Amino acid sequence: MPVATHCVETAAKAFGLGRDESLKLSLATEEIFSYLSSNVCRGESVDIRCVNGLSYVRVEFRFSVSALDMGALNIAASVTCDNDDDMPEMGLAIASRTIDRLNIMAERQNRVCLAIEKDKDYPSVPETPLPPAVVKGLLTAETPDTEGVKIYVTRVNQGPPDPLRPPFFQYPGKVADMVAAGDCQIVTAVDARGECAGGVLFRFRTARIVEVFGPHVFCPAREGEIADMLLTACIARIARTKAIGIVNLTGMPLSVRGQYELLGSLKYSGDDGKSFVRSWYYRLLHEDPGYLVFTDAILKEYLEGEFKRLFLAREIRDVHDQGEIKEVASIFSTEMLREGSTAVLSPLWPGADLDDNVKRHLRFLKDEAINNIFFNLDLGIYWHASLMRVLIDNNCRPALIIPFGAQADMLIFQYDRTEP
Amino acid sequence: MTEPNLDLLVPAYVREFEPYIPSKPDPELQRLYGCDRLYRLNNNENPLGPPPGAQEVIRGFHPPRGAVYPSGDSYYLRREIAVRHGIDPDQIVVGNGANEVIAFVIKAFCGPGDNIITADKTFAVYEWVAVFSGIEARVVPLKEERFDDREMLQRIDNATKVIFLCNPNNPTGTYWSRDTLKAVLDEVGGRQIVVVDEAYFEYVEADDYPDGISLIKDYPNLVVFRTFSKMYGIAGLRIGYLAGDIKVVDMIRRTCVVYSVNGLAQEAALACLRDETGHIRRTRELVREGKAFLCAEMSAMGLPVIVGEGNYLIVKLKGSDTLAYRKLMHEGIMIRPMTGFRYPNHIRVTLAKMDAMEAFVAALKKILA
Ligand SMILES: Cc1ncc(COP(=O)(O)O)c(C=O)c1O
Repeated sequence: MPVATHCVETAAKAFGLGRDESLKLSLATEEIFSYLSSNVCRGESVDIRCVNGLSYVRVEFRFSVSALDMGALNIAASVTCDNDDDMPEMGLAIASRTIDRLNIMAERQNRVCLAIEKDKDYPSVPETPLPPAVVKGLLTAETPDTEGVKIYVTRVNQGPPDPLRPPFFQYPGKVADMVAAGDCQIVTAVDARGECAGGVLFRFRTARIVEVFGPHVFCPAREGEIADMLLTACIARIARTKAIGIVNLTGMPLSVRGQYELLGSLKYSGDDGKSFVRSWYYRLLHEDPGYLVFTDAILKEYLEGEFKRLFLAREIRDVHDQGEIKEVASIFSTEMLREGSTAVLSPLWPGADLDDNVKRHLRFLKDEAINNIFFNLDLGIYWHASLMRVLIDNNCRPALIIPFGAQADMLIFQYDRTEP
Repeated sequence: MTEPNLDLLVPAYVREFEPYIPSKPDPELQRLYGCDRLYRLNNNENPLGPPPGAQEVIRGFHPPRGAVYPSGDSYYLRREIAVRHGIDPDQIVVGNGANEVIAFVIKAFCGPGDNIITADKTFAVYEWVAVFSGIEARVVPLKEERFDDREMLQRIDNATKVIFLCNPNNPTGTYWSRDTLKAVLDEVGGRQIVVVDEAYFEYVEADDYPDGISLIKDYPNLVVFRTFSKMYGIAGLRIGYLAGDIKVVDMIRRTCVVYSVNGLAQEAALACLRDETGHIRRTRELVREGKAFLCAEMSAMGLPVIVGEGNYLIVKLKGSDTLAYRKLMHEGIMIRPMTGFRYPNHIRVTLAKMDAMEAFVAALKKILA
């Protein structure tokens, strides 16, 4: 164990993480390592990898898990359902407090990857604003160099404030590193003299869904033209990749809204306690081949209505619990995003304890003061349907469907914090 | 049971490749989309079907022959094609559709580190085969909807092995004239293979459109693709071919799998070439009528079109092409959304019989209303 934490701390510093951050990352590593070796993969080896994400450092733990110990992967594993004062050791939970992101993913061959990330600190946008952009004549869409990235980000910040804009937009250097690491791409519109008239930033949000920010236009007189050109260039760049759809949650000018479909909206509550609504705009990049999806009868009508509204061809099949034997312990993979106080849970494994497990997770996340809790179900996986009723009974409501957001469509449930 | 470790077994360029999902069969689509008939305007098929002689061949296929291997190298068909073009049968390789010969060419000329050059907005298979074979595909943006000859020449380097030109281009219908093609071939000077995909050759009526096969004798690095899927209406039988210089084709032949072309396709293709009933004329008339009709209708609806040679045209919509696809499917019309061709908000429509054209216009009006 000292080897693991020492390695992580040294690597984190070498990768440019500050002293404090490095320490926090190595503390989290220690916590996770000891939790894994005593609860999850006793006596088995754990591969630890430290990855330089440029704007963050990531530690990945890879291990095999036997069915018996899988339950310990639930972030709320050691939380009991109803007893308030009993909160024994909870390694994953403690670790998740000192870092920015924690994520658990199932990989091939019964392997699991647990990853934690700590962000670097960057100076925010300079105080002295750039003079307004003076754009003339013909524009071309191009991939900016580092300087171009920083100018684009700075100009986005000088534009009208947008509470929905992610915080990384406040740090031009961070975005430049994100681009360099391949975590996102940017296309800018420039005139013959290289003046930046606008830009669009996009990145893979899941394996198949690209999230688009903007297009941001710095030359209001030509907004329609510039926004259209940037969105077209952005789509052309992802058209022949793994991406199957794009979503836009922030910064979209009105003029390109007609190119998207409104999926629905999610309610968020900010750190300041104020709540806001984020509309999800979507665009499918492929033909819809038609699909088979599974539901509990309780949501059949809802799904029929949504698929009709979105013109998606779906055969909806009811799944019934017919008393068959189930595994004992279900598992949720949890993505904890401290920034935005958000947790996203996805079912990894079915089990007879779904209701208890959901309750445990909700209780744990509320205790952790996580404001925004979502469950992502894959409508293409039949047993996810058995969660629908459980979630509804636990004050979650189906909020929106992302076509092909998972193996098939992803149905996002939002936990309603106004519960009594 | 031990699962194979696919992360180790599969090269990254294969793992990372996103397989193309073909549409489901018509009856499945009709069921899913709830439409009782489907006009197929997505694949540039010929609604007249194959010429009468080929229909006769298909009808007359004697079932026990299903047990017998076909000619492994399409012997009679290559002889017929050769005679018609005044070339040697060994200058021809027949494949299971032109798609298959694309793979033959890339396998024959490209190794690790090599690249091919093509356009960004063109038939995707050249790029796909290159990418899933670990070969870099340099895609040069079209210029005014045409293959950009200057820029493509610029992009050539020592590792460039093949240049793919789609002539006329699917989906824009633009083409290089004889002079442009010859000028490029002169400049390339035999350092690279230049492939000219003439899948829509028989549709082109323009005088300055080059017959690639006739240029092979002057440019031994030129390889020409043709198919029986488009004008000849036997897409379902899967047959197309390439022609080139005899030494070049001798190399390409090494990478092809013999017996990939079935016997019925070979015989039907022969009958297509021997058609004397005016199949090409009839089809061209149909395309001309459909083109004029759609151009007028789209213009009346204020929708710009990109139209040239070939049995298809592109319509520019105001919103998402993939949404239009879904809405049109519910109306029983299948078109090709163009996002995958890097033309977001555009759809490609096959020019077909007037009932289909009218149904398309009516459905488009309905969904845009
Ligand atoms: C330009 C082009 N080349 C090749 C092909 C493939 O033809 P085949 O059906 O012979 O494989 C097509 C078919 O869509 C095409 O449009």
